[in-house]
Amino acid sequence: MEEIMKKRVILLLLPLGLFSATFNQDMQNYIDSLKTEAKRNSSNFMDFSSSRGEKIFNASSIGKRGKSISCSSCHNLDLTKNGKNIHTNKTLEPLAVSINQNRLTDVKNVKKWLRRNFKDVYVREGTALEKGDVLYYINSK
Amino acid sequence: MLKKLIIATIVLSSILWAKGVKPVENKLYKLECGSCHFAFQAGLLPERSWFKLMDNLENHFQDDASLDKADRELLVNYLVKNSSDKAYNYKRSRKMDRSISKKSVPIRITEVPYFIKKHRKVSQKIISQEEVKSLSNCTACHTKAQNGNYDDDYITIPNYGRWYD
Repeated sequence: MEEIMKKRVILLLLPLGLFSATFNQDMQNYIDSLKTEAKRNSSNFMDFSSSRGEKIFNASSIGKRGKSISCSSCHNLDLTKNGKNIHTNKTLEPLAVSINQNRLTDVKNVKKWLRRNFKDVYVREGTALEKGDVLYYINSK
Repeated sequence: MLKKLIIATIVLSSILWAKGVKPVENKLYKLECGSCHFAFQAGLLPERSWFKLMDNLENHFQDDASLDKADRELLVNYLVKNSSDKAYNYKRSRKMDRSISKKSVPIRITEVPYFIKKHRKVSQKIISQEEVKSLSNCTACHTKAQNGNYDDDYITIPNYGRWYD
C-alpha cells in the first residue's frame, strides 16, 4: 500500500517541477548541438537551466549603443505579455511558448535573433551554454 | 455605350493613378523588415536609396540587421522592383520621388524633402511624446499606414486627436 501511494504522489508531482513544452525535431537537434558544444567547453556541463537563463535574460549590461539594456528591456520581464522595441516603439509579440505557439519553432529564426540580441545586450555572441539556458527559460513560460 | 466608357475610365484610372503607396505584400519583407519597426513601403524611396541601405545591413541605424545572402538578394529584388521611381502610378511615390534631387541618395524616409514638407507643422511636443517618439514611427499617427494610406482623414495623433491641415 505504502509503495503504491509513493508512486502516485511522485507521478502527481512530476508535472509541477518539469513543465516545458517539447521542442520540435529541428529545434531539438539544435539544442543537442548546443549541448555538445557546452560539454566540449566544460566537462562539468550536465544540462541547460531555465533559472540560469532567466538571470541572463534579466541582467542589465552596457549594450552595443553604450547604454544599459537587458533582454527584458524590450521583451518584458513577464514573457507572457507583449514587449516593445525601446528604440522604435514597435510592439513585440509575447515570447512565452505557452502564449505564442510560433516561438522556438524555426531554427533559422531562433539562431538569427540569439546572435543579434546577444550582441545588442552583451556586445558579443552568446556561448552555447548561455544560448541553451536562455532557450530553456523561454520554453518554460 | 457612354456608361460603359465612363465605368471603364473610372476603373482604369483607379488602377493607373492610385492614391497613397503600394502596400507591402511580400511576406519575407514583412518578416525581416517589419520585426523591429514598421515595414516601410518600398515605394517610399528610390532604387538607389534601397541599394545603399541594403548594402550596409550590419550597421542599420546602429543595429545589426544582417541577413543571409539568399534572403538579402530576394529583398533587394523586391525593393528595387517596387521603388518610388518605378511606382509613379502611386501618388505618394511620385511626390516622394520627384522631391529628391537626382544626386541625393537619402536612406532615411524622414529626410526626403516631400516628407519634411508634409510634416513641417508637426510640433516637437507631439513627436517627442512616449507614444510617438520619432517621425519614423508612422503607425503611431497614421492609422492606415499598413495599407499605404497616409491621408489626413486617417490621422489620429496620440493625446492630441485628429489632424486638420
